[in-house]
Amino acid sequence: MSDAAITPWKPARVPLQTFADAILPLALALAVAAILLALAGHNPFEVYRLLAVESFGSTRRIAATLSSTTPLILTGLATAVAFRAGAFNVGVEGCIFVGGLAAAYVGFAFAGLPGVVLIVLGLTVSIIVGALWMLVPGVLKARLDVDEVVTTLMLNFVAVSLTAYLVNGPLLAPGSANSATPMVVAAARLPRLMPPSTLNIGFVIAVLLLVLYWLWGNRTALGFETRLAGLNARFATAQGIDVPMLIIKMMLLSGAIGGLAGGIHALGTVGRFVSGFSPGYGFTGIAVALLGRGTAPGIFLAALLFGALATSGATIQLFSDVPIEIVEILQGMVMIFAVARFGWIFARRRRAA
Amino acid sequence: MIDNIIFAAIAMTTPVLLAAIGGLVNRVGGIVNIGLDSMMLAGALAGLIVASTTGSCLIAVLAAAAIGAVLGLMMSLAVTRLDANEIIVGLGFSVAVAGLVRFFLKTVYDSSGTLNLPSVARLPGIDIPVLANVPVLGALVSGHDVLTWLAWLMVPATVWFLARTRLGLRLRAAGAAPQAARSLGLRPLLLRDASTTFAGMMAGIAGAYLSIGVVGIFNEGITAGRGFIALAAFYFGRNRPWQTALGALLFGFFDAFQIRMQGRGVPAELVQTLPYIMVIFVLTVMALATRRARSRRA
Repeated sequence: MSDAAITPWKPARVPLQTFADAILPLALALAVAAILLALAGHNPFEVYRLLAVESFGSTRRIAATLSSTTPLILTGLATAVAFRAGAFNVGVEGCIFVGGLAAAYVGFAFAGLPGVVLIVLGLTVSIIVGALWMLVPGVLKARLDVDEVVTTLMLNFVAVSLTAYLVNGPLLAPGSANSATPMVVAAARLPRLMPPSTLNIGFVIAVLLLVLYWLWGNRTALGFETRLAGLNARFATAQGIDVPMLIIKMMLLSGAIGGLAGGIHALGTVGRFVSGFSPGYGFTGIAVALLGRGTAPGIFLAALLFGALATSGATIQLFSDVPIEIVEILQGMVMIFAVARFGWIFARRRRAA
Repeated sequence: MIDNIIFAAIAMTTPVLLAAIGGLVNRVGGIVNIGLDSMMLAGALAGLIVASTTGSCLIAVLAAAAIGAVLGLMMSLAVTRLDANEIIVGLGFSVAVAGLVRFFLKTVYDSSGTLNLPSVARLPGIDIPVLANVPVLGALVSGHDVLTWLAWLMVPATVWFLARTRLGLRLRAAGAAPQAARSLGLRPLLLRDASTTFAGMMAGIAGAYLSIGVVGIFNEGITAGRGFIALAAFYFGRNRPWQTALGALLFGFFDAFQIRMQGRGVPAELVQTLPYIMVIFVLTVMALATRRARSRRA
């Protein structure tokens, strides 16, 4: 993985070009999925129309979309933070599991505390646990040059199994047959913005973090240094930047945001920790970060897109026979197309003309 | 009891070893294949369907190898021709193929996640006359199917291929120094494509082993992350075939051990984490050793 240390997206150029870079993968993925849908006997245009209506057709649907956008903003952000420093963190998924379980534990074990304290404590613990989860790969990458792709990928499996063990044994809800912790107390639940939708204050937190990320990346020295380190580690070292320390910091930050994503998901949406807690939010986060080219507005739009697909995919399955898996297929293809460079196709054509 | 564990450990090693050999050759050629698991999944499905419709395990294994190879080639083209990042493309394949498989199951078989077909041709075990009755040794060598033998024969074959053949040398050159390889008139991208296609083929065969060798039905979780374990195995073996096989064997043993330990007080989930923790541990030890060697030289 010699060239994996390079930021996977190209540095932003003219805005129009950046826009085209983001739209092309999406358009290609939609086109391939349309062929698949047509082969399976569905009318792709009708399916896409339904998806759009079910994601943005009414206030209630918009709330549902924003609710499923929340974890994706956070995981996209967590991924982008590490990518920007040149660390290829694919372990955000694991952070969601450990962070989510930690927050859920606080939510039912410290039931006596007042609401605000309980929520702040729960989210703080999820942040700390998430950051600690990335400590080992961060230090190994920075100090010993151990491939972080492998270590973080492996830690995902460890996180899933470890949390599964805890909710099947020590933390299993009394009298419960399925692998889940007890529900967190009502006071620990994040305040909802538009009941009955599950949209909660976590969405606001996620957007605020995104704004901070934008300010940090464009207005602070650390943000600039991080970008330098990510684009060219040797140059950054020559400029006197402590690149290994920077990588550790950014891995911890990435883990912290990933843990927070789990905490918000546990206290906001699910209300407890269950096995199979995250349907791959961490991996979708990679797609979000890539499609958004690591920029704050880009991450927001990409998270919104995948959030919309997740909500609408789940509902159209209820009243049509279109399998929800089309969403997964789209997501995987967006990931692939987002990192592919199609420039040479146009270049060749121009040369031929 | 011991015989059962040994037999199960060998059986559980096979899919990991098959995919790991493919991934190893792929990595020597310069691509880290994170998509092995998806190719295994596709191979498992194709193998089962073809085994049921044709009644021949040979055709089923060939079909699984073919679908794995096609996926591998597609992945390779994305990396080599469209200059896409191999890690992201590999993860993208994992996500997309998992979705595609379930989409296909729902659309064609109207089933969610599991496929149980009639008259599936299963891989037969090969009993070895006298040895079968010897304790330990019998479990080691007798009763295993042809793919297990293939997996273990591939280990010395890979050693020979990489060290002794012209193509093996060229592949190593393409992986280690693509520009130098090109200046010698080789076509590194083509070699890389070939190695990824091979990796996909091996992963597809590993999938067929799981569906028509071990269980006889298909389930969306049939690979249980074994493609990623294979990745761990060739990282563990540092691209050396025998060490990689040792890694695969360790994982196979953990797998068998964990199945045996279920319901005996040892939590299976904790045993399942062992292979993954071990990889991180081994990578750390290796890095420490490298650093010590470097500082001694300095």
